[in-house]
Amino acid sequence: MKKLNHEEEIKLKRIAVQIRKNILRMIKAGRTGHVGGALSCADIMTALYFKIMRVDPQTPDWPERDRFVLSAGHKCLALYGTLAQKGFFEKSLLDTYGALGTKLGGHPDMHKLPGVETNTGALGHGLSIAGGMALGLRMDSLDAKVYVVMGDGELAEGSNWEAAAAISHHKLDNILAFIDRNTLQISGRTVDVMSYEPLDKRWEAFGWSVRVIDGNDMQQIFENATDIPFEKGKPSMMIADTVKSKGLPFAEDKVNFHYWKATDEELEVAEQALRQIEEGIE
Amino acid sequence: MDELRDPRKTFGEALTEAAQKNNKIVALSADSSSGSGMTPFKEKFPERHFEFGIMEQGIMGFASGLATTGKIPFFAAIAPFVTARPFEMFRNDLGYMRQNVKVVGRSAGLTYSDLGATHQSLDDIAIVRTIPGVTVINPGDPVDIVKAVHAAAEHIGPVYIKIGSPKMPVLMDENYPFKIGKGVVMEEGNDITIIATGTLLSKAVVATKLLQNKGIHPRLINMHTIKPLDKELVLKAAEETGKIVTIEEGYLAGGLGSCIAELLIKEHPVPMKMIGVDDQYADAGPYEELLAHLGLQGVQIADTVEQFLHGN
Repeated sequence: MKKLNHEEEIKLKRIAVQIRKNILRMIKAGRTGHVGGALSCADIMTALYFKIMRVDPQTPDWPERDRFVLSAGHKCLALYGTLAQKGFFEKSLLDTYGALGTKLGGHPDMHKLPGVETNTGALGHGLSIAGGMALGLRMDSLDAKVYVVMGDGELAEGSNWEAAAAISHHKLDNILAFIDRNTLQISGRTVDVMSYEPLDKRWEAFGWSVRVIDGNDMQQIFENATDIPFEKGKPSMMIADTVKSKGLPFAEDKVNFHYWKATDEELEVAEQALRQIEEGIE
Repeated sequence: MDELRDPRKTFGEALTEAAQKNNKIVALSADSSSGSGMTPFKEKFPERHFEFGIMEQGIMGFASGLATTGKIPFFAAIAPFVTARPFEMFRNDLGYMRQNVKVVGRSAGLTYSDLGATHQSLDDIAIVRTIPGVTVINPGDPVDIVKAVHAAAEHIGPVYIKIGSPKMPVLMDENYPFKIGKGVVMEEGNDITIIATGTLLSKAVVATKLLQNKGIHPRLINMHTIKPLDKELVLKAAEETGKIVTIEEGYLAGGLGSCIAELLIKEHPVPMKMIGVDDQYADAGPYEELLAHLGLQGVQIADTVEQFLHGN
């Protein structure tokens, strides 16, 4: 397993704070948004785009690029914040979030923003699309990989399990999917609303090679996501235990921050919290 | 109109031919390959044929993902299972994402007559045509099917093609210039216009002949493309013949008749009669008997047209 050295880890942690700041910037512009899930997966997004994935913001449609599919499209603030940080588009676009005609809709649109690979939003679509991408790349003998971020609440959509079976059946080992297991969905704890636990056993039973990590730990994400496939001939599944609204102590692990209607006071406290995290990185 | 051809076999052969010319074409099966006529494709291009089992929602997503890498997927299965069941995937993954995927709903309309309402597809045109950017083709005979497959392969963007099960009579000239979005005048006439689509085109041909024998001369149009609609041809017919009858093997709600009514009400209102299936689950039974039960045989269509022409 490859490891991040201290300098690399610090650098990525700083970028993760920047991405969280970008998320706040959009919330500030639009006043509302799916903040909880965006913040829980922000560290995964950071590791993928700044250390793991082969992408070039200057040529977003480069055929040999790695693909990223945000199956849980409502976490789009994390995607926009990451793509802006990576230089796919100007950060000033972040200030249009929530405005009429914005390119940064409440769910991503590939025809509006460079770097967005799919139009997701309705849950349970992304994994199948990723499967098709992986199959197409394999047919063309390209070694590009397909990375997916799914939500844990999303797993109740049956279409995910069609995709899970088919990807394994066709031995698409060029896929790494993350489940952002922040354990919360709109109505409460995911295990209480509709439990798909034990997730590791279920995905293993579907033919995937599974790892469970702390999805807010940069070192763990990097170590585990760089040597895919986990097992040759099998798709890789990373069950990432995360904290919803990670980075905002007043909102962390709270169900009512799935979709946040932010007040000025809350935004101020949130900005302060991120500054403190940034200052504490060493 | 003597020669009969199997529409599914015709589709499969045309697909294989198109795939020979274009190596981007791949075929996706939901345990539906042989039933959809794709066996020759599978034998000729095994590396471009993918079996998924019975999971139509997921296949729509796979098709979309494949298309993002430049492939041209053709996904064929029983019509309700590629339209009604995975509608959201059709809309979001193919339509909204503007992916170059061709969906073929076979055994459509009432043609799976014995299997009943779960397997009949009377709503496919109505629901698919609501998706912006999707081309909807309903070929009227085996010649149309072949031409539709080649045209769909060349067209960039999502396409839905509807085909039936029972053998169909050859109605069109093998050399006629098929163009997506362009209807075909099969019989000239100015007394009334009959616009037919898909599997009932042959019944419209029968009805037209019966009417001609009575001295009535309808203009008969094969409207093989529902979307985009050939507005020019419809408006010309409305202006020149004054009355329009539409014929389709599908629900009146949202189908070809609706499309034409939506156009005429805005541009050139004329009296219309819409022939099809009205708001019911059809019975199971032998196909031709079922059509007769629903008033969709040639002689019944001729009677309906004649009565409508005389003001009833």
